[in-house]
Amino acid sequence: MSEYEATGSLNLPTESMKIMAESVGVAGLSDSAAKELADEINFRLKTVIQDATKFMHHGKRKRLSTMDIDHALKIKNIEPLYGFSNPDHIPFRFASGGGRELHFLEDKELDIADIIGGSLPKLPLDVALRAHWLSIDGIQPAVPENPPSLSKDQQRLESSDPVSKLAKIGDKTQKKSTTLTATNKPKTETVQVKQLTAHELSVEQQLYYKEITEACVGSDEARRAEAFQSLASDPGLHQMLPRLCTFIAEGVRVNVVQNNLAPLIYLMRMVKALLSNQTLYLEKYLHELVPAVTSCMVSKQLCLRPEVDNHWALRDFSSRLIAQICKNYHTTTNNCQTRVTRLFCRALANDKMPLASFYGALVGLSELGTEVIKAFIIPKIRAIGERIEPYLDGTGQANADRIAASHIKQLTIKVMVPILKVTRQPPDNVDDYRQEFGYLGPALHGAVNRARSQTTTTASSGVISSAAAGSLGLSAGRGTIVMGGASGSATTSRNQSSVVANAASNPTKYMFVTSRPSTPVQVTAPQTTQVVKLVSGAGQASKQTVMATNQPKYVMVNSSQIVRDVGNKAPIKMEGAEGTPEVKMESSVVIKTENITILDD
Amino acid sequence: MEYSMNQLPQAINSDAKTQSSENQNSEVVSDNSGGQTLDSENVDSNTLAAVLQFLQKHNLKGTADALKKEARLKEDQLRDAQALQVDSEATNLLSSYKSEGDPNAYEKAYLSYRRFVESSLDVYKHELSLVLYPLFVHMYLEMIYNNHENEASKFMERFSIDQEDYYQEDLKKVSFITKKEHMKGSDLMENFKSSQFTVRMSRDTYSVLKRFLQDKNQSIVMNVIQEHLYVDMYEGVPRNKAQVESTAGAMEGEANRQVNKTKIYYGLLKEPDIQLSVVEEEEDGEPGEGGEKPKKKKPKKDPLLNKKAKSDPNAPPASRLPLPDLRDIDKLEKVRALREASKRVALGPDSLPSICFYTMLNCAETVTCVEFCEDSSLLAAGFSDSILKVWSLVPQKLRAMKPAEQLADIDKEAEDVLVRMMDDKTGETMKVLYGHCGPVYSASFSHDRTLLLSSSEDATIRLWSLQTWTCLVVYKGHIYPVWDVRFSPHGYYFSSVGHDRTARLWATDHHQPLRIFAGHYSDVDVVQFHPNSNYVATGSSDRSVRLWDCVSGNCVRLMTGHKGTVSALCFSTDGRFLASGGADQKVLLWDLAHGHLLADLPGHTMTISSLAFSRDGTVFATSSLDGSIQLWDFFRMTDESSLEDVNISGHNPDLLKRSNVIESLRLARYPTKATPVMSLHFTRRNLLLAAGMFEG
Repeated sequence: MSEYEATGSLNLPTESMKIMAESVGVAGLSDSAAKELADEINFRLKTVIQDATKFMHHGKRKRLSTMDIDHALKIKNIEPLYGFSNPDHIPFRFASGGGRELHFLEDKELDIADIIGGSLPKLPLDVALRAHWLSIDGIQPAVPENPPSLSKDQQRLESSDPVSKLAKIGDKTQKKSTTLTATNKPKTETVQVKQLTAHELSVEQQLYYKEITEACVGSDEARRAEAFQSLASDPGLHQMLPRLCTFIAEGVRVNVVQNNLAPLIYLMRMVKALLSNQTLYLEKYLHELVPAVTSCMVSKQLCLRPEVDNHWALRDFSSRLIAQICKNYHTTTNNCQTRVTRLFCRALANDKMPLASFYGALVGLSELGTEVIKAFIIPKIRAIGERIEPYLDGTGQANADRIAASHIKQLTIKVMVPILKVTRQPPDNVDDYRQEFGYLGPALHGAVNRARSQTTTTASSGVISSAAAGSLGLSAGRGTIVMGGASGSATTSRNQSSVVANAASNPTKYMFVTSRPSTPVQVTAPQTTQVVKLVSGAGQASKQTVMATNQPKYVMVNSSQIVRDVGNKAPIKMEGAEGTPEVKMESSVVIKTENITILDD
Repeated sequence: MEYSMNQLPQAINSDAKTQSSENQNSEVVSDNSGGQTLDSENVDSNTLAAVLQFLQKHNLKGTADALKKEARLKEDQLRDAQALQVDSEATNLLSSYKSEGDPNAYEKAYLSYRRFVESSLDVYKHELSLVLYPLFVHMYLEMIYNNHENEASKFMERFSIDQEDYYQEDLKKVSFITKKEHMKGSDLMENFKSSQFTVRMSRDTYSVLKRFLQDKNQSIVMNVIQEHLYVDMYEGVPRNKAQVESTAGAMEGEANRQVNKTKIYYGLLKEPDIQLSVVEEEEDGEPGEGGEKPKKKKPKKDPLLNKKAKSDPNAPPASRLPLPDLRDIDKLEKVRALREASKRVALGPDSLPSICFYTMLNCAETVTCVEFCEDSSLLAAGFSDSILKVWSLVPQKLRAMKPAEQLADIDKEAEDVLVRMMDDKTGETMKVLYGHCGPVYSASFSHDRTLLLSSSEDATIRLWSLQTWTCLVVYKGHIYPVWDVRFSPHGYYFSSVGHDRTARLWATDHHQPLRIFAGHYSDVDVVQFHPNSNYVATGSSDRSVRLWDCVSGNCVRLMTGHKGTVSALCFSTDGRFLASGGADQKVLLWDLAHGHLLADLPGHTMTISSLAFSRDGTVFATSSLDGSIQLWDFFRMTDESSLEDVNISGHNPDLLKRSNVIESLRLARYPTKATPVMSLHFTRRNLLLAAGMFEG
């Protein structure tokens, strides 16, 4: 469109005129007449469209609609084109062939019986008016209705180029100096000295941090659900991210040592909540998150009674987290996926690795996608089989080991079947399988056969295959990178240097590590602030927390309560298949209109 | 020469202009009920002939006969006049394009003028370059007129890129004209041939230009300049690039300095005295409150009242524009307003206002306007499906009046008669008004919240009662879509603007307009009443802002500088300044005393949708369809722009252009989430309300 405008050659060709003339029954229009007509019609059309844009502007729209054209025709005293109105955007389709290019409208034929017999379309939602505070005393509160104070793009920019932030600060201070003195001071004086104090959290944020962390690892399930909900949907959490990540990392470190399964699960769910928050960019905190999550996968003991407790679920869940982190934050600079893959591969290669850790590494790899599975698991199946064979067959082994071995076996079969089904040709032979995969061959063969015969998959295998399909799609773009990363030691050194560079360019990273996990630092002087209540809509557990804001100044304005409805949110299930949809921000938190009245007293 | 309805006022206008050669600002034809309607000296026979021709064309014989009778015109005289008129139209306007010249000469002439501009001294360069655009357009039209179509399109292609960005839109329209026949009927064409393009330059620059024209024997350029350009010459130093650019861009060139010489009364009206005593009485009379509060209140209130009591030297005489007498309900309202004002938050750079944002959901692309009422209790929204919705923003519900038979039962002497006559059963938080048959483009509440005006694409303005929730009057006067309508701050009067290029002043009890303000060269898109109700400001697609005197009907200020359609207007609280925002993403601030441009506030990235001054006049808020609201330090803005210098030198003062100054005036910027802001409003206590529709 714009290129046409630039050249100003948006004209109907004379051929079109001839076609149109034919369509209304005028055959054999002469060339000169067609040209004359085309010129005239071009002019008329352009003036009509020009007028139509006026209606578009006054309608406060950015898109020209058919109604605008109708109105423009009306003011030109031309009968409008009735019946061409369409509430939606009508896209032009493009086709070319035989050296000709054509734009056309897709005009589907509708069966009138379908229209008459079909169910009525849903009524459109009624127009609603909703109020929220865009700013309170000049500060934009971090509520879901407002855009995040630091957008994800900015966060991304900051993590990749920390200097940009410094430049901005420099700008601001310089501006201040000019406004204060109104004379132009020489610019040489603005030397940026980065102070080494930890960065401050407002009192509200400290309270929020305390509440959230307590709720996440506490015993009240309803509160925990709310806390995860908040972590997953609240904008403006980025200021607290360093502390939350440290909390998670330290929490994992302590609980892995003490073999407390439950807190570990809660911490992993926190990671999941943070990952699904649309406004956060976690790249800066991967150095804390990735070790924590992998610990929950490959640690040799995660619970006090390995025979009874289902620590496998935690390993599975964490492995999905790792896969998601790799998917979201893998860049060529941090080489996240490459490093994770290498870590798991080494674990698999190590013969002395306990079986639980072995399982963790295996599940971690299997979540990273088909390419990874093909490259790193398939060649090892024989080794895996050899590894677990004694535990499954031998009778003198410990119970825990047998369970672990059978889990590994199940996992391998679960992961391998969808791939083998595709890669191997139908006539499956048990001997071939045994030859290729050793101990696990017959089991795989049986599973593949079963999978092939089952045209309609059962519910349980449906979940598996859909999960596998999901990871398949996920890995498609990443495959090459992973392969490259695994190639040799030359890349390793490069990787390490890049890590160092990354760390060096981002000194703030290490400031947060030193802060204690559970105590928010810098409790500033007590301030008279009011607390905005968070009340659960169902009314069972009402609790007081504080909205996250950037400045301590925020809350003092209004005496109103902002009631937030978080009651009927289902807690995020850990066992659920990975496809849990991301929580939509708009629907999650509702500020009720009638509770905001005009308050300026 | 055919007249279509909308061109009529302007055609008269252009005739009038040729007649009264001296008076440049007689660009206004007013429906002057003041007296001189059919005076022979004012309405010449040409005008009459035009009117008659129009009447005949539309087969309005009765009216035509009546007019003939009244004007006592003889038939033959008429015929003469008609012939003469048609003749003069043809010769004056179109035939001026006639030339025998070789089409290639135009290109050469244009090039040589461009070279001259480029090679001239930097001092003169910028003013001389102003001539390029009108020269280019008129040359193009001349070529078209003389049937050199191919050369013309080549000419357009080659040189249209040279022109300033803000002319490109017009140039596109001009480039549509590729045939002589197209020249008739195109509105832009009408402007180019019937009006002169004003170019302002210093005497020195002008003499440089003259020398060039004489030396080089540039007959084509000379011809265009003589025929179509008005050179507004001034004594002094030629302006620099920024100065030239700041006021350029309007369709008719720059504002002629002569136009803005009229004195205008921009001060506020004195608050009526009677009301003060009433205030006290009312307060004493109120049970419960009278006992304890008066003592506390009086000292607080007195300064406020005293300030008002001092009469503003710039204020218009109270009798200048007849205003309706205050009713009891108005007085009560004033008392309420004063009481609220005393609780007002003082705003400034250190205490920014809170903003409450009303988001309209489930209505992407259907809301066409949003409007708050003065005391912030109601919100009206117009929709593209012709309906109008009114919401109550306070806990009180919207109630309708009881039916007549029940009203008869009410004791009229009762204290709470106003409450009793409303029917509680009808209470709702939102009411819908049906009546228009086209998109509703604007709505405006009366100050007493009992009436609502709306304007629509169906060319009507409707007056709605907010007590019975029905339509009271349909004002039919505009013949094309009405883009904007606005109640006067004192009620009774209202003003509307539309596609027919006129602005009209109405009174609620007249079905015909009191004044028609004609003079804009394109759609008039937005209108705003001055706080003292004596003036109306209009913004137009011809990229100019005009101020009209409601009493005389004259255009008293013409302000150019916008580079796109003007889309929002707002008077400052003290009435001295006018802020305008446009589709060019600029917010411009004007000093009404002289019509000068004071500041150009950048920062928005889409059409400006609304402007608002805080009630104490210290903070200025702008909003845009890009979904952001910006706050500006208006107090410093007026402080920094040296108002005193303006009075001495004749032309526009230096703008607050230095970007760091402008940046420091910006107090804050608040983005929304995918919600174009459509309306801004400061409550009496200085809380900022904003509204928009969610597009996510």
